[in-house]
Amino acid sequence: MELKDKLKILADSAKYDASCSSSGSTRKNKSGFGNVAFSGICHSFASDGRCISLLKILMTNCCIFDCKYCLNRKSNDIQRAIFTPEEVCQITMNFYRRNYIEGLFLSSGIIKSPDYTMELLIQTISLLRKKYHFGGYIHAKAIPGASEKLLKDLGLLVDRLSANVELPTENGLKLLAPNKKESNVSKIMHYVNTNQSKKYVPAGQSTQMIIGATKESDLEIMEKSANLYSNYQLKRVFYSAYIPVNQDSLLPTLEHPPLKRENRLYQADWLLRFYNFKVKDLLDEKNPNFNILIDPKADWALRHLNEFPKEISKCSYYDLLKIPGIGVKSAKRILSSRRVFKISFEDLKKMGVVLKRAKYFITCNGKYFMNYAFFQKEFIERNLVLEEKIPLNKIHEQLRFFNE
Amino acid sequence: MNNGCFIYEDTFVHLLNLIFYLIQNHLKPENIKNTMYTPNLLDHVIVLKIEKNPEIISKIITSMGSFTFRSIYYVFLSDVDNKELIIYYLLLNGVKYKEKVLYHRNLKCVEKTINISRYVLHEVHKYKGFLRFKELENHILYAEIEPENDILFMVSHHFQRRLKNEYWIIKDVKRKIVSIYDKKKYYLVSEENFSLETTKLSQKEIEMGELWKTFYKTIGIKERKNDRCRMNFMPKKYWKYMVEMEDIL
Repeated sequence: MELKDKLKILADSAKYDASCSSSGSTRKNKSGFGNVAFSGICHSFASDGRCISLLKILMTNCCIFDCKYCLNRKSNDIQRAIFTPEEVCQITMNFYRRNYIEGLFLSSGIIKSPDYTMELLIQTISLLRKKYHFGGYIHAKAIPGASEKLLKDLGLLVDRLSANVELPTENGLKLLAPNKKESNVSKIMHYVNTNQSKKYVPAGQSTQMIIGATKESDLEIMEKSANLYSNYQLKRVFYSAYIPVNQDSLLPTLEHPPLKRENRLYQADWLLRFYNFKVKDLLDEKNPNFNILIDPKADWALRHLNEFPKEISKCSYYDLLKIPGIGVKSAKRILSSRRVFKISFEDLKKMGVVLKRAKYFITCNGKYFMNYAFFQKEFIERNLVLEEKIPLNKIHEQLRFFNE
Repeated sequence: MNNGCFIYEDTFVHLLNLIFYLIQNHLKPENIKNTMYTPNLLDHVIVLKIEKNPEIISKIITSMGSFTFRSIYYVFLSDVDNKELIIYYLLLNGVKYKEKVLYHRNLKCVEKTINISRYVLHEVHKYKGFLRFKELENHILYAEIEPENDILFMVSHHFQRRLKNEYWIIKDVKRKIVSIYDKKKYYLVSEENFSLETTKLSQKEIEMGELWKTFYKTIGIKERKNDRCRMNFMPKKYWKYMVEMEDIL
């Protein structure tokens, strides 16, 4: 098989993995070939608007598992391919030299056994690091079920190591991925978390969940994420809207992938990590799913309207973060600026506050932006829903590929 | 002497010296321009003899902080029309507000300084990703860029560290400057003083370009196709020099 055909098959099988970030690690160019920028660099954007930072490929798409949702499952009759370690190195080095990529994202179907597969990954990456002196970013997938020794070896070679949870509950896994065990994934996460250092997986670990393949509610998904963040200090949980690639009676039939739901989950994920929100603030047994029409923070604000409007010139940093339309950056800007002058609505706009949402929830120097009689839930809600239709492309870069 | 158009000698240090001279002598410039400027009939052009004292830089850093200084420098690198005047007003306020000057976001010059320096840094960051090298017959890596702002040396600085064991050349097509790296240092040369021995691509080049295009086309998920989103993050002006976009343009 020609190299081009192999690349086509093995990139096609890898594309459903959402993670492509190359951030969180920094390495100086000692070896002579390549370094890592802490902020991460996007090298291109694909036709779906997602960033391309890493050469995202599978070592092989051969797999002994039969997960219902996966293109590469054993029972699918598709063309199979496998890279040699030398081939992966050649492509990576040539792409990196031409500045096509920031590094390599290497995952794999499980061939023969978890240990065998993991050894193949280690062999490839160690060739790349030691023979080719590659100093760029490497993200590798840990293979669930492989031995601890191999996990240790692989972690010393890469910047980021990850294992995918895939489905938020054990029941979902039993149904759709009968060969996978939750405990195998948490074993990896626990090991990486306890051993993480500047030398071992410096950029930390991440994981991914498929959204909409099983019946879990947003509440269950968010609780799972919150646990992952607090138990294993994950850098990121990625959510991936389920795209039907297989026909199976156990799988839902969807016309479109649930992109908006995915968008809401990312927004809520940010609220957990940077805005001091807890899952129970956003969702509960009565409302286990996010409002598709309004973003989670605005939705929360509408349910707690008695805490608003907040006065920009007085309220604390954490209160500023609770205001829809104000983010971490703009909150910090407000703090530093309000000491030196009186902030007006016009100034807020210059500071990056999304005024079309924030204006309903704030006062500037005691003034509301319009007649205070309109400070009512129904009125604000209606206006927010209308404004949501405007593309949200500027809220946060990381949400970029979820805009419909 | 008020209300004139002051001319500086094209360098950042000279501009700073001139501005401080103006501030100290309470002269309010109508405009500040470099020597390339062709005055119109109404301009009252003033050329002052002012020394180029680099100590001015540490003076600004001590009184206004290094972040403020860097922001001013990025404004200087930008292609914004009246950037010199923006720098003048920022320094004028900087004398008054010291290291807190950038907190005064209600001032027009502060708002502009912050926005322009972000615009310049943003472009540098984009080119770190979107620049594409092609390998020439003699193994030299060659790239062309067309940035809005004067950022060739900042881009070069990045690649000096990243590809330190390669010979590479980056050309700013718009400004006609070339950056040449010889595995030790990079040099900025004007296009007139520079010629390539060969512009023939290496044998491998076509094959690698094809391989990259294959990857690029494969990695997009067709169920999530979103041209607008792609355009937002990768505007069309960058496409011209990107291998993977050749077929799409």
